[in-house]
Amino acid sequence: MRRLPVYLLLDTSGSMSGEPIEAVKNGVQVMISSLRQNPQAIETAFISIITFDTTAQQIVPLTDLASFQMVDLKASGVTALGEALKLVSSCMEREVAKTTMEQKGDWKPLVFIMTDGIPTDNWQNGLTEFKKHKTAFTIACAAGNGADTNVLKQITNDVVSLDTADSGSIAKFFLWVTASIGVSSTKVEDSGKEVQGLKELPPPPSELNIVV
Amino acid sequence: MNEIKQYISELLTQNNVPIPKNRMKLFEEFAQDETNINTVKVIQENEKMIVDNWKIKSTIQDIIEKHLVIPNAMVGKFYEAKLDFVKLGMNDIIFSEFEDLLSYGLEYDNETETIKGDPTQSGDFKIKMKFRISGELEDSTLNEKQVSLIINANPKSLWKDLPSTQTEDNYWKADNAQDFQPLGNKHLVVASKRGRSHANVGSFRDDDFAFKNFPETGWNVVCVADGAGSATLARQGSKIACDGIIDYFTENLNAASFSEFDSLIQEHNAGTGEDIQKKLNLFVYNKLGRAAFNVHQKLEDFALKTETNLKDFHSTLIFVLFKKYEFGYAILSFGVGDCPIGLLNKDLTEIKLMNWLDVGEYGGGTRFITMPEIFSSDKFGTRFGFKLVEDFSYLMLMTDGIYDPKFVVEANLEKIEKWQEFLEDLGGNNEENIKVEFKAENLEVANQLSAWMDFWSPGNHDDRTLAVIF
Repeated sequence: MRRLPVYLLLDTSGSMSGEPIEAVKNGVQVMISSLRQNPQAIETAFISIITFDTTAQQIVPLTDLASFQMVDLKASGVTALGEALKLVSSCMEREVAKTTMEQKGDWKPLVFIMTDGIPTDNWQNGLTEFKKHKTAFTIACAAGNGADTNVLKQITNDVVSLDTADSGSIAKFFLWVTASIGVSSTKVEDSGKEVQGLKELPPPPSELNIVV
Repeated sequence: MNEIKQYISELLTQNNVPIPKNRMKLFEEFAQDETNINTVKVIQENEKMIVDNWKIKSTIQDIIEKHLVIPNAMVGKFYEAKLDFVKLGMNDIIFSEFEDLLSYGLEYDNETETIKGDPTQSGDFKIKMKFRISGELEDSTLNEKQVSLIINANPKSLWKDLPSTQTEDNYWKADNAQDFQPLGNKHLVVASKRGRSHANVGSFRDDDFAFKNFPETGWNVVCVADGAGSATLARQGSKIACDGIIDYFTENLNAASFSEFDSLIQEHNAGTGEDIQKKLNLFVYNKLGRAAFNVHQKLEDFALKTETNLKDFHSTLIFVLFKKYEFGYAILSFGVGDCPIGLLNKDLTEIKLMNWLDVGEYGGGTRFITMPEIFSSDKFGTRFGFKLVEDFSYLMLMTDGIYDPKFVVEANLEKIEKWQEFLEDLGGNNEENIKVEFKAENLEVANQLSAWMDFWSPGNHDDRTLAVIF
């Protein structure tokens, strides 16, 4: 079976502590519960969570929705976005099956990045690694005005921003991520084609600004 | 005794009451006084009790705060999860029970520390674990811990089966179609089913098929087409493609136009004549190529007439012509798209693929009969198949709704063992034990094939069409 891998890269640096990190945790929970109700998603979508603060960590390996269990998130430290990009690259290398003569590989992964700050490490190095892997699309979300959309724009063309990193806006972001994963899994199952980017996804809610 | 003395001495020091050297003798006597000794013992016991109680409280709190992960369950699938308290770092638990598990169809055995049963309802639940740890009194109130239990719906139950509404659509077709007919001296059974992804949203079946026997010449034609999921009128595209082939041959397949083939075959078998193979190939190319191009034009005309785009009718198309001769069978084919035509020899030891598949590196690389460029491509000549065989067991035409789940990759279509597995699957070696008996006298065969086609394959919910000539 061809899986649809989804990587969530979540900023868990100190500035996320309190309301934002709780909102992220809740957002992921609601997302998983909702996707479990979608017959296409529950069969195809596999989710992994990578957090980054002073270091990056894959806290949930690529897991099918049915057996996915959320782990606790704690916010502290700085923003090693570069390391997160490097880590997601090695995870994709290891976890995403390639198409060969003998088997159909997985669908190209979806990557969602959410950050509220400026990277504190050498993020360009991580980006070089990341660019070596093909994704169906990569969406970066700048949560609040502390994030640098210029940096994110270099990672992916598809950048959205939230005016504030409050629980309401973060919840809206995750609802949109949920809908986007739903649309992608339906598309691969129905037409055997991958979603190519922002323009094929459901329109983002008004809380999300598309960064051009 | 020394211990008591030391205790009292430390107590006095703590309270800033030092013992002067000249009072040491008096202190010795004080420390040996029975009342004092007993009082110290009581104090020490109480202290120990407080320490122990604190340890217990703290351990209980540790257990309450610790994340207890139990595997997710699924409705209708037997569930069994052992809570390994030692592994979970909760080895102090000496008794445990769960409330309300029965309402989810589960029960807890505190001897084996196992939750099991057949989950009945789906959702994210909080269940209450009550427990006692070592050191607590046997009649003490049990401690409570919230545990998350996720019961997934059975994915099969999440798929809706919404009928496609007949009245609202000009191009409506039945969600399921099937047929069983003699075809010359062979038989054809065919079934075509709307995929679950379409049923889930009440949309239409995009696959189609058609067939016809031409008694005058002895030829038979069978077509299968798969309308592209992304094309809005693909259901009509596949229908026009199949019907178009039948219509074309109804008009153009007659004794006059096909007698040349019969004489070429005769010469071929007799080993006379020149360049017979070439002439045969040319015949196949001309007759089938014209039929294919005619269908393309019909689709073009239809799009023009209805003021729609030709690409809205995108559809693959495979078709075969076959005829029984004295020596055996002549089988001719044409294909565009990713639907295979497989010819299995009499004793099921050889598979001949009549066509190659248009598959791209990243999927979606398929070609459609609606695309004018296929006719001008230098690959056009390779889209035809021609085979003379003494006999065959099965000639199969299928859409990717069958090929994807059953053969997975193109390379497997070349492997006879994969076709043997496929036949075993059709013969009842499947999860549902549904058997299709390919026998001329089996009047149920179309129903059987249709029932078999409901097989469950995660991620494969496309329309399914399979035509079997046997």
